[in-house]
Amino acid sequence: MVEERKRERLRGVLRECGSVVIGYSGGVDSVFLATVAVQVLGPANVLAVTGKSDSMASWMEDTAREVAEGFGIPWLEVETREMEDPRYAANPSNRCYFCKSELWTRLSDVAQERGLRTVLDGSNADDVGDHRPGAVAATENAVRSPLLEAGLTKAEIRAWSHELGLPTWDQPAAPCLASRLPYGIAVTPERLKQVERAELALRGLGFRDFRVRHHGEVARLEVHPSEIARVAEHRAALLSAVRDAGFRRVLVDLQGYRRGALNEGLVSAQLVQLGSAA
Amino acid sequence: MSADARIAAAERALAEHGLYGAAVEVEGHEREIAALRVPEAEWGRMLGPDGVRLADVVKAAGFRYVALDLATDSEN
Repeated sequence: MVEERKRERLRGVLRECGSVVIGYSGGVDSVFLATVAVQVLGPANVLAVTGKSDSMASWMEDTAREVAEGFGIPWLEVETREMEDPRYAANPSNRCYFCKSELWTRLSDVAQERGLRTVLDGSNADDVGDHRPGAVAATENAVRSPLLEAGLTKAEIRAWSHELGLPTWDQPAAPCLASRLPYGIAVTPERLKQVERAELALRGLGFRDFRVRHHGEVARLEVHPSEIARVAEHRAALLSAVRDAGFRRVLVDLQGYRRGALNEGLVSAQLVQLGSAA
Repeated sequence: MSADARIAAAERALAEHGLYGAAVEVEGHEREIAALRVPEAEWGRMLGPDGVRLADVVKAAGFRYVALDLATDSEN
């Protein structure tokens, strides 16, 4: 159930923005935001833009395109070049800053070229307190976060998405593929492809909420606790598929999938939290 | 604590929790992963509710992640 007060607040923020470019990954939040923006502002005042690079999983790109087509969301794909930035490729704990800096700069350019006033992202109230170095880049580029400003939580966004008939309403969170590499392991197209190939195999076996963490020659699978018992059932297929993706050893984490597991090795001085970045 | 000492401590802790015959190896670029090989008969236990509790006792030996090797002895 979403309070009417929050719904009106979101519509109000969008009306304030006037015309918008939305960072649109094909995930739950950005699909929802783009859909409501079209309802409130009309399609002529909305452009959903997907930043395409090696760090975006192909199924996310497919979702972004299909939902935009199916729900009348004006959509554009632009190539982003974060992989060419050695500061990003070195994979420091603030890697997301360099990626988002590239993304928001590109989207700001698109907004200016097309005469659209405001660039938006899909951050929500549950993101406050997470390690979010990309939020600094958003602030630097005057990106607004209407879902966060309206106080909408992920559960509320899912509920409202369900009301709207969006196929993403129950889609698991799906951050970029680079998030599968521990900090300090260089981000390369080859490693990202390995992760994508292994994750495609898990999806093919019916797993929904998981991550394949890339530890060099070792893949450490984090499977959601509700699905982890199925690992034993599919053990041989999992082992074969993940090895085929180029890993020597395949491990299953006993704690299962949890958000931000690769941040567990960071000390507090390395953490940049949404809500403290502005 | 050295890597070898962590291995011995982790294997001892697992045995104290009733998991005998487990072998612990160290993986990861920061040697932060405990990779466990256990008898196949114990797989159900490891991938059930007991797995999180056993992970905690191994983490206490000095590891960040605790994970089960998907390969059987003959597949390594």
